[in-house]
Amino acid sequence: MPVVTATLTLIIFAAGTAAGSLGALLGLGGGVFLVPFFNLVLGFPFSAAAAISLTTVIATSSTVSAGRAGKQLINMKLGMLLEVATAAGSLLGGVTAQFVAQSVLQKLFGFVAVIVALIMLSRLRRRNVILDPAADAGVLGGRFHEDESGGTVTYRVKRLPLAVVASFVAGNVSSLLGIGGGIIKVPVLNAWCGIPLRAAAATSAFMIGVTATAGATIYYGHGQLEPTLAAAAVLGVQLGSWGGMRFGAAASAKWLKILMAAALFIVAAMMFMRGGR
Amino acid sequence: MSAVRGPERAAALERIVGSVLRAGVFASSVCLAGGLAMSLVTGGGAVTGFLLNAGIVVLLATPVVRVIVSTVQYVSERDWAFATLTFIVLLELAASAIAALVLNRRM
Repeated sequence: MPVVTATLTLIIFAAGTAAGSLGALLGLGGGVFLVPFFNLVLGFPFSAAAAISLTTVIATSSTVSAGRAGKQLINMKLGMLLEVATAAGSLLGGVTAQFVAQSVLQKLFGFVAVIVALIMLSRLRRRNVILDPAADAGVLGGRFHEDESGGTVTYRVKRLPLAVVASFVAGNVSSLLGIGGGIIKVPVLNAWCGIPLRAAAATSAFMIGVTATAGATIYYGHGQLEPTLAAAAVLGVQLGSWGGMRFGAAASAKWLKILMAAALFIVAAMMFMRGGR
Repeated sequence: MSAVRGPERAAALERIVGSVLRAGVFASSVCLAGGLAMSLVTGGGAVTGFLLNAGIVVLLATPVVRVIVSTVQYVSERDWAFATLTFIVLLELAASAIAALVLNRRM
């Protein structure tokens, strides 16, 4: 367990603010940046880093989803269906994490980051949008008003089994690695399941509250969560994601994807170097 | 009927879920901020520990309450498919708490 000092608390608050604003811009929880910072820069054990990160993921999910509720951007039915898979994956991952070596988790983190970055870069131009507002969205599809184009976007959900599998894997990886799992779900939902990036990100952000709770409960119950540092990280992330949400609507989806991929490559390289020692 | 009522029901659920999340975020932030301020000023103590842990418990409970509220809402709408799905999620969250207790006892 890391020793709590006032300086460390303030550093973690600042890191949380940075990760929160970046995470909100990318439609992620911010954990994908916090875990490497805690583990590689501050030298926390992977489990302590993952535990703190998961609490910030929950806070981001609740804050962002509370702000978005009522705008139809979150696909609640799809989200709640996929939560069955993601919570199962998370439960399994949280238990597995207690028996796996740190170097294995670091390499897995790097591996996951590379794959997702490559997927994001290969799908820059996809939009998956039906612009006819009268089109039938089906039971699980949705429609929302997009500020960028000024039109109503209607979409159907394709390849539901793939979305279920991706959600299970995302939940599993979430608990193991301390991230929300958005880096896995968002690209799959967007690229293969026909869900526009903003709706995919909003639905994923909504789901990761449940995903991270299943994982964080295991770490917390097992005494691997330092409450003071978690508080600093959570409050920092909330401040940051509040700021990030103000810019999020204005930034273009293409640049969000490129920024996301670049960040993931850097994180992956660092994790491979550390995990390979 | 459901074609007309569907969007209205979805909007109602979104509002309820939104208020649950807002309330949870507010309550946990107040506890965490209070606890963090006290730990920086006084360096710890029983009240500090209580506030910090209360904040974390509320934070962890917020998504659980959100799922409970959704289950209740789907049951009241007689949408049995989604009532069952959200109930399964609830069982999975309960299982993670049980797993934490089991792991604690073993190690």
